Amino acid sequence: MENKIKWENRMDAALTGARSENKHVLLDFFNPD
Amino acid sequence: MGAVTYPDARVISFINENMIPLRVRFDAQPLAADFNVNWTPTIATLDSEGKEHHRTVGFLAPEEFIPSLLLGIAKVYFDTDRFDVALVKLEKLLSDYPKSHSAPEAIYLQGVSLYKSTDHPKTLKQAYEKLQDNYPGSEWTKRAYPYRLL
Repeated sequence: MENKIKWENRMDAALTGARSENKHVLLDFFNPD
Repeated sequence: MGAVTYPDARVISFINENMIPLRVRFDAQPLAADFNVNWTPTIATLDSEGKEHHRTVGFLAPEEFIPSLLLGIAKVYFDTDRFDVALVKLEKLLSDYPKSHSAPEAIYLQGVSLYKSTDHPKTLKQAYEKLQDNYPGSEWTKRAYPYRLL
């Protein structure tokens, strides 16, 4: 089992992954500070 | 979220199995403007075309975050009239996380999904009764209040 979340950081990559894996996108806007 | 929820093994497993996770800074443009983000964390569920179907703002612990994600997935199917799949996701939410804050909305959407797929108004009344019995103080119980008359 994976021990961390495999985050994408580009919308186009996430949407491509969503289409190819038949999944939905979890979009998290975060504050790094 | 980064200190408590995202490191949780249940959350990692759920996200990696069910979603494509995308994380961007709150001020990343044009996304922040496109999604009208003005506080963090803002977490949205999008379909594969990038359309938003569910949003939460603020911290959610793992036991609230997973059902919120399930609700988001169910809403993608609900919004696109795929009520059979929406009902499967809602039932999963209600069976695994009946005490979560997402549960009352799930019951409401379950009633509406059943109504839209069967045309039986009684499904709406049953949703109200379930909400009244289990979540009498919920806003979703109030929203379903008119259905008691069906």
